[in-house]
Amino acid sequence: MIDFSGILSGLQMAISLEGILFVFIGVFVGTFIGLMPGLGPISAIAIMIPMTYNMDPTIALVMMAGVYYGAIFGGSTSSILLNAPGVAGTVATSFDGYPMAQQGKAGKALAIAAIAAFIGGTVSVVFLMLFAPVLSSVAIQFGPPEYFALMLLGLTAIASLSSGSTIKALMSALLGIMVVTIGIDAQTGTVRFTFGSANLLEGIDFLVIALGIFALAEVCALIINRQKTTFNAKTIGSLKITKEDFKEMVGPMSRQSVLGFIIGVLPGAGATIASFIGYTTEKRFAKNPDEFGKGSIKGLTAPETANNAATSGAFVPLLSLGIPGSGTTAVMLGALLVLNVQPGPLLMTENPTLFWGVIMSMYIGNIFLLILNLPLIPYISKILAIPRPMLISLVVVFCIIGVYSISFSIFDLYVLLAFGVIGYLMRMFQFPAAPFILAFILGGMLEQSFRQAMTISGNDVSIFISNPLSATLLALAAVSFLFPLWQSYRNKKNNNQTLSM
Amino acid sequence: MALTVHRGVSIVLIIIAIFYLYLAFQLPSFMNTVIDADTIPKITGFLLIILSVLYFFMPVKETEVEKEKRTEAKNDWHYILGMFIMTFLYITLLEVSGFLVTSIVFIFVCTRMLGYKKWKTNSIVSVLVPLFLYLSFTFLLNVRLPTGFMPF
Repeated sequence: MIDFSGILSGLQMAISLEGILFVFIGVFVGTFIGLMPGLGPISAIAIMIPMTYNMDPTIALVMMAGVYYGAIFGGSTSSILLNAPGVAGTVATSFDGYPMAQQGKAGKALAIAAIAAFIGGTVSVVFLMLFAPVLSSVAIQFGPPEYFALMLLGLTAIASLSSGSTIKALMSALLGIMVVTIGIDAQTGTVRFTFGSANLLEGIDFLVIALGIFALAEVCALIINRQKTTFNAKTIGSLKITKEDFKEMVGPMSRQSVLGFIIGVLPGAGATIASFIGYTTEKRFAKNPDEFGKGSIKGLTAPETANNAATSGAFVPLLSLGIPGSGTTAVMLGALLVLNVQPGPLLMTENPTLFWGVIMSMYIGNIFLLILNLPLIPYISKILAIPRPMLISLVVVFCIIGVYSISFSIFDLYVLLAFGVIGYLMRMFQFPAAPFILAFILGGMLEQSFRQAMTISGNDVSIFISNPLSATLLALAAVSFLFPLWQSYRNKKNNNQTLSM
Repeated sequence: MALTVHRGVSIVLIIIAIFYLYLAFQLPSFMNTVIDADTIPKITGFLLIILSVLYFFMPVKETEVEKEKRTEAKNDWHYILGMFIMTFLYITLLEVSGFLVTSIVFIFVCTRMLGYKKWKTNSIVSVLVPLFLYLSFTFLLNVRLPTGFMPF
């Protein structure tokens, strides 16, 4: 069953003047932030949120989605030119992109990255069109136990898949849940953890958290690296790629568009994991794997296709289940809730223009990105020459104005600063911040679905296990939590054995 | 047993969890709800304690990369502290002196403090960006930014 009228109304929205303008603004800002090593897509979206408050929700999501895939698209440029990934999802791009640039083929590397990203981004939107409605129609039968299990799986999956230690990521998620319990409890009206402050009654706004934990903390990273990277725009060279080059790209592009999309759909995984998996699988497939890491075209194409495919994949759970699987989509969900849009299985039927408009606009956004990142890249990359000290001051001002314009409260600004310090400490001790923000956004819904399920069952916990779907999801959550622990235990044991030998 | 960095971190987390639980146990309860307002906080608090204790006893060895990440700010700590203090002052003065004046001063001083020496470019940017933001928020987004003692 294909909803042609919905697709048509989405297309109409996407090709309206407003639709085109805001998708352009989105991808342009995304490219800009993506270029800046240190600033990630979460900060970019959070900074844009105040602009969206009086906007039509569809246009707002079109723009925020543009920022997201634009940042991943643009992040490759600094990976290639500076060996400093603009965003985490483009780390693997630097493995072969930077060696190519060092061989004087920066232009070619940029062109390959842009084409690979365009193909990955566009092909995966086709998959998004096909799979999101299917998942929606399945998810429509989900009740509170299934939702609770699904959210729990999302949290354990992001913890086990995020870089570094799983236990740290889980603790980070628990801290996120703690912060979201501050304020009046929606069901009982109990005032929780406010220390008598009237300012905390409504809880802490998610924008304060996102800007503090991500943008302000990233400012500190910028301070540390403020003199590290310099860039000379003259060194890009020709953007031409030959027929032979393109032939080499076809294989990785076709495989990684699919694989990247699938990884993007999975909870917890995203552009970063997709790009690493893309890189390693192509290395395994390659006839001469020794070339990888020395400027291989395949090695550059694979992660660039995969990470862009994963960004569209990440929209599948967000749009069809209403459950974000990553930090970035969690922030988008937060913004949508403020605009009174509840994504979920009913979104496609109740608000087809938004559902299909966002998807359709991605085709247009990818075309804009190809133009921005291919013919215009020598000009765009001059952005990298913006002095870091100035950028740092400007980001702080954007954070302040962002929070102030939604709450008009100086108190919230102090909270923002406090979370900036917390975010910086988390970064220093390598506690991943994505599980924190995901748990913060999901925390309220998690508690609500837990309560609903328990009310339905008459206070009987077995409802989560007697229901086959939620039992499966909970089992998966347990596996995703226990597997990395077991793995690290086994590695330790092996290490000890080799040491004693 | 040496007090390593990760043990220190886990002790701090245990203290946070205990404090949170202490508050959670003081929450009033209602008779007619199946799951009261204190259930999820209590579960969360206990889980954090369990994980922190587990983390305390884990044989974590800091890798070189992790150590570098933790200590890379060493030479720049005064810049980071300075940035936080200036942001604090910026927030405190925002409603007193207004968005325009405070932001212009903040961008100029902060950029200079972090080592950018071209004062001409710095002055132009620190005036134009806040002005642009002020005008677009006031007239395009209909958001009133604080004016402080200034008439606009």
